[in-house]
Amino acid sequence: MQDKNIWVIVPGFNEAKYLAPVLEKLMHLYKQVVFVDDGSSDTTATIAKKYVEHTLVHRINLGKGAALKTGSEYAFEHLGAEAVIFMDSDGQHKPEEIALFLAQFKEGAEVIFGERRMGSEMPLLRIIGNRVASFVIYLLFGAYIPDVPSGFKAFSKSAYERVRWNSTGYEVELEIAARVAKYKLSFRTITISTIYHDMERGMSPLTAVRMIWKALAWKVSL
Amino acid sequence: MSIFQIISSLFALFMLYVVTIHKSRSKLTQTEVSIWYGLWIFFIILALFPNLLQGVTDILKFERVFDLLIVGAFMVLSAVVFLSYFQQKSNQTKIEEFVRSSSIKEAAQKKTVL
Repeated sequence: MQDKNIWVIVPGFNEAKYLAPVLEKLMHLYKQVVFVDDGSSDTTATIAKKYVEHTLVHRINLGKGAALKTGSEYAFEHLGAEAVIFMDSDGQHKPEEIALFLAQFKEGAEVIFGERRMGSEMPLLRIIGNRVASFVIYLLFGAYIPDVPSGFKAFSKSAYERVRWNSTGYEVELEIAARVAKYKLSFRTITISTIYHDMERGMSPLTAVRMIWKALAWKVSL
Repeated sequence: MSIFQIISSLFALFMLYVVTIHKSRSKLTQTEVSIWYGLWIFFIILALFPNLLQGVTDILKFERVFDLLIVGAFMVLSAVVFLSYFQQKSNQTKIEEFVRSSSIKEAAQKKTVL
């Protein structure tokens, strides 16, 4: 499963509860991993350092977007990465599905979005939120990208340079989709598993409102 | 003298006290101290003698001096909010860049040592 120049970037903030089994499984399947601890106040960084050699630590919490950017820059500039795969650290993504992304890269893909099945596993509110996000991107930027909030996605180095975002928080997912659509980058989607185990975490309705507001701002500024 | 004038003057005196505290803690330069002292003293003078602005009020065709002061205050407030917003954004970017680059540097150094 190992591919020479593709690195998995895993951002984490206060993930001590789920992190150890996630990293154990991930490192068993794939060795090229960069973990970015985003200023956690729990033992996230300590746990990560046990499993991942390339663990980066933000001294203060900046947000998911900043953590992904730190991990990507480190992988491209210091590890000679040719592509990166983003994966959440809360156990909502299956490490074995990294193989699906690697297969797409082998076929020459530049941008790959992991799309969760919106069936009974996904809460209704999240389904509505996802559809609204895709619709907003389609309306403002002209491309339909399914499951915009999914954090399981991948970019080649050249694609990363085009989509390099400014968002520091959760709105990064929407900004990435907006930039991919705006710059008309070709993308592929792959179906990934839908796992929800902590409904309190992730995007809140307030975040969703903020994201829509941001999308309108990007329509003007991008 | 109206109660409003007394409250305004007391408020300006309090702000002069705040400036003095910041001055004693060396948080402001001499130029900044002079500007802030000047501003609040000017505020006290206007609060006590609002008729000093009667000429300007007539030129700008305001009904009352109070209306002129309100419009002026809104303009100053808007400018302060606007400038603070950009300063805050600039500081946020600097902090983000610092935190991110220092974490990359630390990891890169560790990688070199290994």
